[in-house]
Amino acid sequence: MSSPWTDDELLHELAAALREEPVDDYIIHAAQGAFAWRTVDADLIVLELDSGAIAAAGAPVRAGGSDARRTLAFHGEQLSVEIEIDEAGIVGQLAPPQPGRVTLLTAIGPGPSAQADEVGCFAFPPPVSGPIRLDCRVDDDHFVTQWVTV
Amino acid sequence: MTEESEVGTLVQASAKGDEAAWNALVRRYAPLVLAVIRNYQMGAADAQDVCQTVWLRLVEHLADLRAPEALPGWLVTTAQRECGRYQRRAQKTLPVDPHSDGIMKQGTTADPDLDILRAELRQALRDGLAELPARDQRLLRLRAADPPKSYQEISKLIGMPVGSIGPSLRRSLDRLRQAKAVQAYLASSPAAGRVGGRPT
Repeated sequence: MSSPWTDDELLHELAAALREEPVDDYIIHAAQGAFAWRTVDADLIVLELDSGAIAAAGAPVRAGGSDARRTLAFHGEQLSVEIEIDEAGIVGQLAPPQPGRVTLLTAIGPGPSAQADEVGCFAFPPPVSGPIRLDCRVDDDHFVTQWVTV
Repeated sequence: MTEESEVGTLVQASAKGDEAAWNALVRRYAPLVLAVIRNYQMGAADAQDVCQTVWLRLVEHLADLRAPEALPGWLVTTAQRECGRYQRRAQKTLPVDPHSDGIMKQGTTADPDLDILRAELRQALRDGLAELPARDQRLLRLRAADPPKSYQEISKLIGMPVGSIGPSLRRSLDRLRQAKAVQAYLASSPAAGRVGGRPT
């Protein structure tokens, strides 16, 4: 495949690439710390629906008219989870409905844990802003949702 | 495992739990992720949250990343998607254009897509350079320095006759063009070749 750039252009762009501003160390360290969250024993439940994204993609909501509640649905082969987040906190339900142990994880460590009742319902106080995920243990099975920014 | 290792090696080693490989991946691609996020106007704290989410997502995605050359594209797409989500949630505070009744396009320049393509190109050039033999890397770095080293200086620094430097440089640039990272970038988008190179 031929290149669209002359020698001078390529050198110029390479120089710019090598000069690009360095990234702050704390951002690098935080990103490197993400590796601690590598899980090998849990099944991943994938984000399938984000109400904020849908509402906005269709018709932008004007100031004051929007509902502050956000619905997120995660889907997995064996277990799905739906949660709603608003100022009051997080309420959620496991599907199929069943009891289990749900823990809210944040990028800086595990948050509160809650028992899902017989119909799979659980609740958490409002999370601090940042990435979160849910860790769900049902019987002997272990699931984690994808990370989302709240 | 070093920062000069090929991206494929780093991805595979990270997927197997090699933390040094992961650290090298982060160091190499952090500028690309931040370049994408900078196209969306958000505060420093929100930008950090989005950035961190992208890396957390990559940790869980490492094992399914079949083609490591696809990593830059995956990072760009994931960062864009997370920024989009963030913006739509924060839309109550976004300016609304009274004529179109839509949310005004955010971003610092006229064409955010072009900025992202340029960030991808620069990442591809850094990756491509890392693929080359040490001799090519040294020559290209000296010539791409700010200000560029003259042929006389390069001759002294690497012990190469002045007359050989021009031809060597052309061969090194050709190898950079053929580098896997650069070819993968060019194949990624029809517009890829239109970005870059114009001295400003």
